[in-house]
Amino acid sequence: MMTMVAGAALLLSGCGTALERGYMPEPITEDGPAIITLWNGAWIAALAVGVLVWGLILWCMVAYRRRHEDQALPPQIRYNVPIEILYTIVPVLMVAVLFGKTVEVQNEVLSSDQEPDVTVNVIGKKWSWDANYIEDNVYIEGVQASGLSDGEEGLFETLPTIVLPVDSRVEFVLTSRDVIHSFWVPGFMKKLDMIPGRVNSFQVVTTEEGTFTGKCAELCGAYHSQMLFRVQVVPQGEYDQFVTDLEAAGSSGQLSNDLNLYPLYDDPQRKSFYPDEDEGVYVPGDDERVSQGSN
Amino acid sequence: MATIVGPETRVYPDPGTPRQPKRNLGKLMVTWMTTTDHKVIGNLYFITAMAWFMLGGLMALVIRAELFVPGLQVVDNPDQYNQMFTMHGTIMLLLFATPLFAAFANALMPLQIGAPDVAFPRLNMFAYWLYLFGGLIAGAGFLTPSGAASFGWFAYQPLAGAAHSPGLGGDLWVMGLALGGFGTILGAVNFITTIICMRAPGMTMFRMSMFTWTVLVTSILVLMVFPVLAAALFGMAADRMLDAQIFNPAFGGAMLWQHLFWFFGHPEVYIIALPFFGLISEIIPVFSRKPLFGYKTLVFATIAIAALSMAVWAHHMYATGAVLLEFFAIMTMLIAVPTGVKFFNWIGTMWRGTLVFATPMIWAIGFLVTFLFGGLTGVILSSPALDFHLTDSYFVVAHFHYVVFGTVVFAMFAGFYFWWPKFTGHMLDETLGKWHFWLLFIGFHGTFLVQHWLGVYGMPRRYADYMPEDDFTLLNQISTVFSFVLAVSMLPFLYAVWKSFQTPKVEVDDPWGYGMSLEWATSCPPPRHNYTTIPRIRSERPAFDLHHPNVATMESPEPDKGVMEELLGGPDTDQAGRKGTETGGTRGNPHV
Repeated sequence: MMTMVAGAALLLSGCGTALERGYMPEPITEDGPAIITLWNGAWIAALAVGVLVWGLILWCMVAYRRRHEDQALPPQIRYNVPIEILYTIVPVLMVAVLFGKTVEVQNEVLSSDQEPDVTVNVIGKKWSWDANYIEDNVYIEGVQASGLSDGEEGLFETLPTIVLPVDSRVEFVLTSRDVIHSFWVPGFMKKLDMIPGRVNSFQVVTTEEGTFTGKCAELCGAYHSQMLFRVQVVPQGEYDQFVTDLEAAGSSGQLSNDLNLYPLYDDPQRKSFYPDEDEGVYVPGDDERVSQGSN
Repeated sequence: MATIVGPETRVYPDPGTPRQPKRNLGKLMVTWMTTTDHKVIGNLYFITAMAWFMLGGLMALVIRAELFVPGLQVVDNPDQYNQMFTMHGTIMLLLFATPLFAAFANALMPLQIGAPDVAFPRLNMFAYWLYLFGGLIAGAGFLTPSGAASFGWFAYQPLAGAAHSPGLGGDLWVMGLALGGFGTILGAVNFITTIICMRAPGMTMFRMSMFTWTVLVTSILVLMVFPVLAAALFGMAADRMLDAQIFNPAFGGAMLWQHLFWFFGHPEVYIIALPFFGLISEIIPVFSRKPLFGYKTLVFATIAIAALSMAVWAHHMYATGAVLLEFFAIMTMLIAVPTGVKFFNWIGTMWRGTLVFATPMIWAIGFLVTFLFGGLTGVILSSPALDFHLTDSYFVVAHFHYVVFGTVVFAMFAGFYFWWPKFTGHMLDETLGKWHFWLLFIGFHGTFLVQHWLGVYGMPRRYADYMPEDDFTLLNQISTVFSFVLAVSMLPFLYAVWKSFQTPKVEVDDPWGYGMSLEWATSCPPPRHNYTTIPRIRSERPAFDLHHPNVATMESPEPDKGVMEELLGGPDTDQAGRKGTETGGTRGNPHV
């Protein structure tokens, strides 16, 4: 009972801004607000349909309940073609609108036409994350959050951290060393899989400073839930300092794709499927930087 | 051989004293093990599926208990947790819900079309044995040193390959499911043949009950996708045990598996949904005292759902970055249209009816209320722009439990309370049934509604654990507490089952009084070959026509006539037993 009351309190206290964004995380990227608008619109339409249908069911239950044991049979109506056509056509129109809006937002979310300011090749591995900063030629080597099973606070501060400059267009190039992982920063409101053999990428424009949680979202083995990380969005100056610190710590260069268990099969730079001919990190859309990718 | 008699001349034959073999467990076992009677096979399916349901439910309780607070408390290590949700999913989808379709189809479909048995009774029994042993093999992984399969029920490659998931548990999983899958395929062959070839005289396709229609459409779906699953599973087995390279990621194997798996996996959702829509379509008319509204549109909606379900598989794969988003989005959204048609037809059936809230009707309304929400979140998930955030989160977990539990479990219990007298000759207790319903309804919504928020906040599915800083604790605790309420709801049901066998047998063919489809025109339970006489079948509710011949002459509003009616042909019906009508009105054909 206590939990129920507390739960209700939590839901109510979430009103206001949380309700305004449909309980989504606070957006930290440029396309976040568009996603929230679509999300809210979809929910308003869905709940309108829901209220209509639940209302009709409830109406039937109240208005047409049997009142007397010996009541005569109701009119045995079997069909009504105009109404049936109506409730086929109207949903088609609603679907058409939703589809149109979806494609609009989707194109915005997936657009990667522009040159990124920072390109990070994030590599999923059992059970942590490596990150190659392509332009700055530094790397981070992540370690699994093995303390999770203790259930203690304080683990979050120790997670591998991907630092990004604020107000910058960041391209994530996602690959995997072993099994399928999925790169999810809830604040981005989108995730993308890291599939062994494949190169995936998406862009975000950072708009908010802060430290945000990131998780692996595709089952990747026993310690899937310990495959955690943080994203820290900082002013450009702090970002430059971060790069300098990495260089000072000896993390210059790039982690090689030789560490991958499976070669990338859709890398157009590669001439064969054999791993020994594999060269460095491939960054889609920019041939010049490929050479930087090799160690 | 059954004879055809009109409602006026039909005489109930004296059933005589049924042969009463000595009640002896050994004899019963031998009878059951050697039977080819579709009703007994149906019971075997019911018992086995319910055993798996409760086992899978216990695993769900372990999962929920583990998530009650941050940290590992209940299971020993995260791999055990992974075994729990892997086998929970496998059991609920493939060892409970799918065989439950075979159970209801066996128990009801031959009765509903007036057939003495299914077309291939021995094949039917063989299919059951394949399911039983396939299931036991898959579940036997728990007895091996490394435990059961732990790679999730969709066994993504390369995680589920020998390199990342060695151990006998995975081998048993893949071979057990392949074996059981053949049982499903053979069952589908049987059902299709039976429906096409063994309908009683007068039982035209458009007079078949909705449940029989859904069995037909579902079986066709099974034939289209289960062989693909079998092929994928054998490929996976070859990779694991023979060192084949079919799903090697270096050659696109990771995506190949996802395509093959979801090409099966999405229609599978409809394989376990459509028959239960059929059950609901049987129950609502009986307790609304009205014929099913829009029978033909319901048939077409069922076919449309099945057809569309073949073209939406990659909506499970939006986040792979490797599928054509727009195509799969629009096809998925379109499924909402025929599903909506079904909803409005069910409401149209209740509209201006006389609703009687017997236990089966309460469960059916519980289904409507629950499944509707799952359908709405399904439309939201169909949008790739939103799915990128929601996929693989607890929002999806909540969504598919609303859809699958809402359909399978609610409709199953509706079906149990409704057809229990037909299956066993006894009634289930109404009061216990209502306790059962309300405990389950509250438990279910308390467990799964809050999970939508968890997912939106950022809790991924299949996480054994979470950080205190994640702020997931409270919602997880609500979910866990209600999951135990949900589990407790099985107690009144089990008690009602036990109690039903202590009550006197039902003496009449139709204890509900307004049963519509043909099975209500034979005894409870029916004789070995189902019918001693078969009534005239002149509409989609022959038992109702038989027991209420006066309704055929009742004044009823004639529905609209016109172009659309010419096209659709109106219902294939005439309760007075005269030949087919043009108008479909309930006044019968004025030209005769």
